[in-house]
Amino acid sequence: MTQSSETSAAQNLIDLDSIESGTSLWEDAWNRLQQNKLAMFGLYVVSFMIIIALITPWIAPYSYFEQDLDMGATPPSPAHWLGTDTLGRDLLTRVMYGSRVSLMVGFLATAVALTIGVLWGTVSGYFGGRVDAFMMRTVDILYALPFTIFIILLMVVFGRNILLLFMAIGAVEWLTMARIVRGQVLSIRQQEYIDAAITMGLPKRQIMLRHVIPNTLGTIIIYVTLTIPNVILLESFLSFLGLGVQPPQSSWGLLISYGVETMEEYPWLLIFPAVVLSVTLFSLNFLGDGLRDALDPKASRD
Amino acid sequence: MIKFIALRLLQAIPVLLIVITITFALIHAAPGGPFSAERAVPPEVLEALNAQYNLDDPIHVQFFIYLKNVAQGDFGPSFKYTGRSVIEIIAAGMPVTFELGLYAILIALILGISAGILASLKPNSLQDYIPMSLAMTGICLPTFVLGPLMVLVFAIWLEWLPVSGWGYIPGDKILPSLTLGFAYAAYIARLSRGGMLEILSQDFIRTARAKGLSTAAIVFRHALRGGMQPVVSFMGPALAGLLSGSFVVETIFQIPGMGRYFVQAAFNRDYTLILGTTIFFATLIIIFNLLADIVTIWLNPRLRDSSNSNN
Repeated sequence: MTQSSETSAAQNLIDLDSIESGTSLWEDAWNRLQQNKLAMFGLYVVSFMIIIALITPWIAPYSYFEQDLDMGATPPSPAHWLGTDTLGRDLLTRVMYGSRVSLMVGFLATAVALTIGVLWGTVSGYFGGRVDAFMMRTVDILYALPFTIFIILLMVVFGRNILLLFMAIGAVEWLTMARIVRGQVLSIRQQEYIDAAITMGLPKRQIMLRHVIPNTLGTIIIYVTLTIPNVILLESFLSFLGLGVQPPQSSWGLLISYGVETMEEYPWLLIFPAVVLSVTLFSLNFLGDGLRDALDPKASRD
Repeated sequence: MIKFIALRLLQAIPVLLIVITITFALIHAAPGGPFSAERAVPPEVLEALNAQYNLDDPIHVQFFIYLKNVAQGDFGPSFKYTGRSVIEIIAAGMPVTFELGLYAILIALILGISAGILASLKPNSLQDYIPMSLAMTGICLPTFVLGPLMVLVFAIWLEWLPVSGWGYIPGDKILPSLTLGFAYAAYIARLSRGGMLEILSQDFIRTARAKGLSTAAIVFRHALRGGMQPVVSFMGPALAGLLSGSFVVETIFQIPGMGRYFVQAAFNRDYTLILGTTIFFATLIIIFNLLADIVTIWLNPRLRDSSNSNN
């Protein structure tokens, strides 16, 4: 399962890239993005992280669960670049395997949020009137719920199930997506080419799938890039509280929480995972900001 | 305005009911009860315990008994902390969490707004880049990374401040408040920079400049009120977010506040305490959002007029 879902996440990225180079609008945006050094730095780091995460099982220097209690925790050395943890496991390997979990949660939960949010927002914005009022009121009510609390309870009640984690996080993040997409759809609906499509007798479903959703893509891509770091953060937060993935599996949040326990004696166990997590969050945020500037030059920065 | 507030308060009732129902359903869907952890309990004792807490009634009966009690202000006894009622525990934890939240939000507002104003006065200069990259750091360093790192540096290596606690040793409140406040300072800095930039480019500011007003007078007398609007609308969600931040900060620094009680209650399956704290947090979030909306309307006369004519 892990394998196929990760490759499909990667597949999506590749598809987005090919769309980008397809039309002049996207080429334009790509050129603008390339001039933004911070955003390009973010793009390189994120791509590097994804590639490493995908090929970890083949390139990891050690096994992520085999313990060597005689060795215990050792500081960084030529044999173990990031040192070893208290059970003698290679930290670099654990960080690499952790990136698989953290990035996978980030991409898949965002995909869940994306699917629900885009469908909800499109239908709501396109039909308008009573349907819109009802669907948006639902979103308003859900917004008022303390979701962090629900996710914590869900994890406690049903065990630390990764699949459940995707669903729960996706269930929270789709709300903002639905609002943003609805706003976009409302303005696209006024455009003449939609009138033209209606006059030509296209069924509503086709108009939405072929004309409305593709035109919201820019906004969606920006928002997705900014949602992924939020999701990664949420997963790490849960793992930090002991509610995310379970040992011997690793995720960045879990490694950080172990690092905190032993930081007085073995500070590197805290510092390395913290740096990797922060650099990833940095890069995704830079990339998101850059994409916003590139795809929507009119929007003010911030 | 009064009508608007009353309407919003009425809307809060169904939201709270949904929160209670979902939470109730979630914890009762859990395999194992609050007493299943203690292995050596004889069956008769377990039965007596279950009877005492109404745990052997059908679930819908339990639900309605609970709703009735909550409506009367009775949240029941805690399952784990025997002899203490949920209300007592909340009353003990609440002041601690509020104090922590207050310091954090003060730090966030002071740091964030001054950084944002500084940056907006000279956009795309060093005066802009330095505070804004600091803000980016604040956003990307999650609380559970920043907290331990600060403990490592300031408490363990430099030994300037205590490692944990709340009000036991002088200075032990500094690190938790900074940890919780810093991330919000970062967001507020970005928002106030954006808000100020937009206001500073408007005609009335140019007029004020042409009159020869000093920068300070322009900022404080003319620009601040409009420029702070994004910050104000961020405050509602921010205060709500401070609560989940308090879960982490209170856990890291071992502070006996609501956040820590909630996390422990969830792990202990302390049904009544989970429900009580959840209702408490949900109510707070609703109140904060309402307050933020009221202040937004109050700050922006255009919205004020439209909200009056609509009602």
